[in-house]
Amino acid sequence: MDDIKTVAKELLTSGKVNAVIGYIRYGNDKRTKPFIAQKPEDVDKFVINNFILNNLAVYLTRKEVSKLGKVAVIAKGCDAKAITALIQENQIKKEDIHVIGINCNGVTKDFDIDFNSENIAGKCLNCDVRTPKLCDSLVGALADIPSGEDLKLKMIRGVEAKNAEERWDYFEDEFNKCIKCYACRQACPLCYCEQCIVDKSIPRWIESSATKRGNFSWNLIRAFHLAGRCIGCNECERACPMDIPLSLLNRKMAMIAKDEFNYDAGTDMNAPTLVGSYDLKDNEDFIE
Amino acid sequence: MEEKIISKENLLKLCSDLLKNNVDIVTPGEKGYIKIKNESEISLNSKSKHTKASFKEYVFPKSEPIIYYKKNQSDVEIIEPKVEEKTTVIFGAKPCDVRSISILSKIFNWDYKDEFFNVRSRNTVLIGMMCEYADEFCFCTSVNLSPTSSDGSDVFLVPHDENTFGVKIVTEKGADLLKPYENYLSAGNSEKTKAIEASVKQPEKVFDAEKVRQWISGNFENDYWNSIGKMCLGCAQCAFVCPVCHCFDIVDEDYNYYEGRRMKNWDGCQFDMFTKHASGHNPRDDQSKRYRQRISHKFKYYPDKFEEILCTGCGRCSRGCPVTIDIKGIVTEINELAIK
Repeated sequence: MDDIKTVAKELLTSGKVNAVIGYIRYGNDKRTKPFIAQKPEDVDKFVINNFILNNLAVYLTRKEVSKLGKVAVIAKGCDAKAITALIQENQIKKEDIHVIGINCNGVTKDFDIDFNSENIAGKCLNCDVRTPKLCDSLVGALADIPSGEDLKLKMIRGVEAKNAEERWDYFEDEFNKCIKCYACRQACPLCYCEQCIVDKSIPRWIESSATKRGNFSWNLIRAFHLAGRCIGCNECERACPMDIPLSLLNRKMAMIAKDEFNYDAGTDMNAPTLVGSYDLKDNEDFIE
Repeated sequence: MEEKIISKENLLKLCSDLLKNNVDIVTPGEKGYIKIKNESEISLNSKSKHTKASFKEYVFPKSEPIIYYKKNQSDVEIIEPKVEEKTTVIFGAKPCDVRSISILSKIFNWDYKDEFFNVRSRNTVLIGMMCEYADEFCFCTSVNLSPTSSDGSDVFLVPHDENTFGVKIVTEKGADLLKPYENYLSAGNSEKTKAIEASVKQPEKVFDAEKVRQWISGNFENDYWNSIGKMCLGCAQCAFVCPVCHCFDIVDEDYNYYEGRRMKNWDGCQFDMFTKHASGHNPRDDQSKRYRQRISHKFKYYPDKFEEILCTGCGRCSRGCPVTIDIKGIVTEINELAIK
């Protein structure tokens, strides 16, 4: 199996791409940051380890990056799902990008902590895309990964067990923490709208204030807009400076998409999207 | 500066008495600054990591109404909310957090006197504590602060050991707060305080803020800004967790056709909407221009205007940045460009 530096360097020297988006170590050995290599020698800094948390697909729709021309992007299996979803939604063209998939051995849930069974990201525990489904090159080798408890699923079950009023109170407390920094939106590869509905002011649909009403509308609207689209990279939750458990909503909706429509977001770039298609056999017993 | 000693036991009693006397106490909690209900929640740990958000919200709330309005038949009735005059003690904040209030006071009292900020800061007593935490994102010493700086504190605590604290009474406000509780304090030991302060590990000074200011002045169009603009995702995590970022937006919220309120909400310069004109034109139409603004405001415009660096070196923006854009690293690089 080729290593990341060889592959990235070849892509740049041959002129197949103008830039490679990858990860470099930063600060300490338990942290990385995204980096865009435009010269072959830049790729010497690239690393692949258990701290490559960012979903680099987020850069593919940014205008500062798309003006670089054809780019290659390093993708874990979950990140590749985001790329697939972006292709499905006509935001990028497959031929404009080169996906360097990595055989992923799991990542931590945050930076600056050890990689072990306690700190492994929840999304890695039952991952079925450790080898990305969508990739043009593949690097690295699979190894055993620590097992751990799926605490977020436990939390989802906990919320499901509450009655409507208790659920409302629970999310009210969580959303109260929101400061409207929109790190969730900006870190999300599928929140690519050129103008977000929360920024529309004529008329204003969602109050920009970080008040109970403003926070509820924002967080619920964002969750709705990701229904059947969220690929579960969990970058929104990691980016949130206020520790709001955003994945509870997103993952629950992904579970519903799976149960009700047998749909997994980001698995087939040629498939129609869930919200962009219908089937006469679709379950409609929820319409009253 | 007068100095005293207080035992941990008496410090807890002091907090308990303050709470009983209807004083709000805000302290670093596990996730952020919290308003405590019981003195046992107080933070006495000088080795703790910075909370994700600063205590800015207690003097400059993330959202607050500044006017309520009612439309009548022929005119509009305006009701101005009053900020409650209630003492808040910020307890156990690090020097880099404490210093924020005096920096913010400059902008909030420049041309317009912001009553909302002023009433709150006037009623806030800052009990700072020496800091024994430093990671790769800390750089207080590069912005003229230090882990032992009592600058900005009304009272400053220096832990002598687990159960004893040196108490520096820095301002009159601090003295007034402690006056009713004098019996909790005993004679000071400034020699010991000095020795402990001297032993604290200081983050390395990594840049010369004056050189950085000068470089920014002459490099508005430098290509360096593009290297950061490419990576920044354009959220306001950095601005909102920052102890001294102070930009806000003013919006009207109608309850219905007749009534509504005018809100003052935190805003951040990394949003593309921040400078978007009604015409659709955006003078900062690229993330590089927006990031240049962030750095220039902190290290040039604010120092030019107020002789204060708009940064306390706490490193929160960098630790929490989804893509680890590190302000210390960036300003250090600018410093290197300036020396070249």
